[in-house]
Amino acid sequence: MNNISRVLVANRGEIAVRIIKACKDLGIESVAAVSEADKDSMAARMANRVICIGPPRPSESYLRPDTILCAALGTGSDAIHPGYGFLAEQPELAESCRKNNLIFIGPTPENLKQMGNKLLARRMVKRYSIPIIPGSEKVANLREAYRILEKIGLPVLIKAAAGGGGRGIKIVNSFDELKITFETAAAEARTAFGDETLYIERFFPNARHIEVQVAADHFGDVIHLGERDCSLQRRYQKIIEEAPAPSISNELRGKIRKAGVKIAKNMKYENLGTVEFILDQDSNQFFFLEMNTRIQVEHPVTEVISGIDLVREQIRIAANYPLSLSQGDLKLTGHAVECRINAEYSEARFQPCPGRITEWAPPKGDGIRVDSHCYPGYLITPYYDSLISKVITSGGDRLQAIERMQYALQNFFVKGVETTIPFLRFILNQSDYRRGRVNTCWIEKVLGQHSANNTR
Amino acid sequence: MSLTEDEVIQIFKFIEDSNFDEFNLTMGDLKLVIRKRSGSSPNNEEHVVKLPTEPIMIEEPAIETKERNYEIKGQKIEEKAIETFGEGFVTIKSPMLGTFYRRPDPSAPPYVEVGSLVEENDTVCLIEIMKVFNAVKAEVKGYIDKIFPESGQLVEYGQPLFLVRPYDRIEKKEMRA
Repeated sequence: MNNISRVLVANRGEIAVRIIKACKDLGIESVAAVSEADKDSMAARMANRVICIGPPRPSESYLRPDTILCAALGTGSDAIHPGYGFLAEQPELAESCRKNNLIFIGPTPENLKQMGNKLLARRMVKRYSIPIIPGSEKVANLREAYRILEKIGLPVLIKAAAGGGGRGIKIVNSFDELKITFETAAAEARTAFGDETLYIERFFPNARHIEVQVAADHFGDVIHLGERDCSLQRRYQKIIEEAPAPSISNELRGKIRKAGVKIAKNMKYENLGTVEFILDQDSNQFFFLEMNTRIQVEHPVTEVISGIDLVREQIRIAANYPLSLSQGDLKLTGHAVECRINAEYSEARFQPCPGRITEWAPPKGDGIRVDSHCYPGYLITPYYDSLISKVITSGGDRLQAIERMQYALQNFFVKGVETTIPFLRFILNQSDYRRGRVNTCWIEKVLGQHSANNTR
Repeated sequence: MSLTEDEVIQIFKFIEDSNFDEFNLTMGDLKLVIRKRSGSSPNNEEHVVKLPTEPIMIEEPAIETKERNYEIKGQKIEEKAIETFGEGFVTIKSPMLGTFYRRPDPSAPPYVEVGSLVEENDTVCLIEIMKVFNAVKAEVKGYIDKIFPESGQLVEYGQPLFLVRPYDRIEKKEMRA
């Protein structure tokens, strides 16, 4: 790369490892910015250089734009890769990169601002004549909330404007619940995001979550790399993802992909992004949900069916290269499924289980990919999220990919901490899942039945 | 001499609104030291408030627990800032990542030289992070034996900055002798 020769990796865990691998492939040096808790991490072992940026707490290390910037400048890096989470979608870091002549491997600060506030994003996308979920503008008070409920009907979701990624969401099923839910949502938004602005969206109980992977370069070219289905969620957090989206007509698929590209093009988006939609299975209509302005956890399923290294593409775009392929070049083959494995105890309401991994034997085989930062003896600290691994399997069709996933999970041996592997195996065995008869509420429903059976 | 509660609160507010990261007041027997969280300016504080914590985090603990955790961790860091090193030596470690400066400004003399005697509350150097200067305290009484980084060098969090021969150990030795 002409203008990128050293990248500061401002993240941790599996994504830091993933970014360092992409840098190695491109012949770029990597500097791992690590907190004190991550000094022994796999990312720290793999990077060309390691720099300790602060204590374990994210607010004192990974979440500090000034420290990250100082680390990049001090190590002679010419670019920062923010990964996902932490500072990836904060305009501050992207802005200070611009001011200090550093390349931020991600979209422009303007893009981050446009999509960061979910209310502004809704307004903007509406102008592009893309359907948005029926809902409100900013809801100032409880009285207004009642009026909106009467207009759009129950159930609804109360969302924080500064939220996103499944955080700051509360469901309201009846008018009686509105008062308390509205009040707690405002308080939580204030503490979690420093902004108590709320808005209301209609909730579709029989919907699928479909997202379009887009890529846009500095020259105004925008393409999609197909879509992913992330309907299997628990508490608005994705658990199992796949690509392409199963059991939808090619006509609808085409429309959703086109809508994703249109949004990116109209807003002059740069770099990789994901436009999320809700597909209501009762009416077969889709609506814009939000846009994620970063690499996503579930990006490997797209990589597997497209053969494109998305992190590499991200770095290339940031280095001012044109897209490595045109829309016509895109060939999607087969089917891919990803399971997120967390260090959680599913039988105890998914309590996070930090601890030392004593045995770590990930599965191997045809069509199996494992993205992880763990190794035998690795200590899972309590400071960060509980994702310890992603297993991605692929096959000629969906069933083959699912069968390979079952094999992979059966042959994934972890000791020392509890993991969600048994829970994922339970989900994969459900016939509704195999038939693709799911929606965003399905996992919670299955879990409810499961625990009811267990107590009986 | 003493301070009323109101006066202390006023001082806190003054420090909070100011660009200073530390305030020392001595009135007779009363000694008041107020230190802002290391590495933070009023601007940065704003950042911290605005920034959400990790998106993938499962559930945020209540604010009260967070505060308490921070306090506990703050103490740990203080304890770790000084570490025994070799026989009878301790090191002063960098409390943050940033640029190490030995002088308050280029024309001023350095805070300390090899051989200087420092008290716990003496500033030994500055760490600059994006134009915000943070004073680093000795936290130990003793003689500076070695200065590890060059002025203007990038230092990591936890990197040893000074080697100190603690005063109390010397005294004890001499007393025994």
